[in-house]
Amino acid sequence: MARDATRRAVLAAAAAAVPLAATGCKGIAALGSPPKPAPDVAVASAALAVERQLIAYYGAVLGAMPALAPTLRPLLAQHHDHLSRLRARLIVPPGGQPLPTPRATAPGRAPVPGSPAAALGYLRDAEDAAATALLAHLAAAPPSLAQLLASISASEATHALVLGTAARHR
Amino acid sequence: MTAARAAVAALQGALAAENSAVYGYGVAGAHLAGARRAAAVRNWVAHQNARDALTGLLAARGAQPQEAAAAYELPFAVHNAAAAVALAAVLEDRLCAAYLGLVGLPDPGLRAFGARAARTAALRAAAWRGSTLAFPGLDVPAPRPPGQARQGSGSPGPSGRPHGSPTPPHPG
Repeated sequence: MARDATRRAVLAAAAAAVPLAATGCKGIAALGSPPKPAPDVAVASAALAVERQLIAYYGAVLGAMPALAPTLRPLLAQHHDHLSRLRARLIVPPGGQPLPTPRATAPGRAPVPGSPAAALGYLRDAEDAAATALLAHLAAAPPSLAQLLASISASEATHALVLGTAARHR
Repeated sequence: MTAARAAVAALQGALAAENSAVYGYGVAGAHLAGARRAAAVRNWVAHQNARDALTGLLAARGAQPQEAAAAYELPFAVHNAAAAVALAAVLEDRLCAAYLGLVGLPDPGLRAFGARAARTAALRAAAWRGSTLAFPGLDVPAPRPPGQARQGSGSPGPSGRPHGSPTPPHPG
């Protein structure tokens, strides 16, 4: 935790320092273009988008099948934990891109299937895809963010295991 | 620390965790029967193989692989099946944390290797524990002997949400 706090402090200091340096070097025109996000920010933003999408899928399934709540709620709570931890890594520079808005159905993603077993399978596949998507950013991430991504990816793999088991028992 | 020395230190950390897992599964397996004993034996063999792979990676870097201890202190007494299952979960939690050490290295190959191994450990831990964690390897729950309140996460959420999840099948 102490390491995280230090990292955030460093990031905050870096984010604060960049616009000042830009003003000093390039004059007033530099204020018009916001600084490029640091690699941390780009990777954390991508990971946040993955988490938001998963949470939207859980919301869609819970909306359609409230009876699945006992299985899904503990897993969904852990996704909210993932979201908070990733958000703590994110410092969007002033004037930077806003975060993507989650949608219940992503482009190319089929709507929630009609049966509980199929809906659990749908979430299992989404968890597997998210676990893989997070690892795609591993090489670009600074060390502590890479460890966070690997941990969240592993958590999602365990969710897929739970969902697959629950689907088979229906 | 140079990148090469950091890699050796992280590999030694993973090797130490594998060595203690080989010892720990030996203890756990003796108190288990049926499918759980079979799972413990499969994991015991898998950890021996992982230990050998790490030994090879260290030797390839010209480092002397750390020797296993003759015996390890267990986090709690293991005299029955419930304690054996709890021990197996603790061993996998520690492995997951040790492999995340490799993910913190600059070498992309070791990062990917560490992430795969951390995932495998998290899956085995979840299967033994019967619940999932939000941050396997990062927020490792304190070792708890069975009989005490079991909960899926080492850090309860701010709203006191229930953690954990339904029981997955046994690992293997």
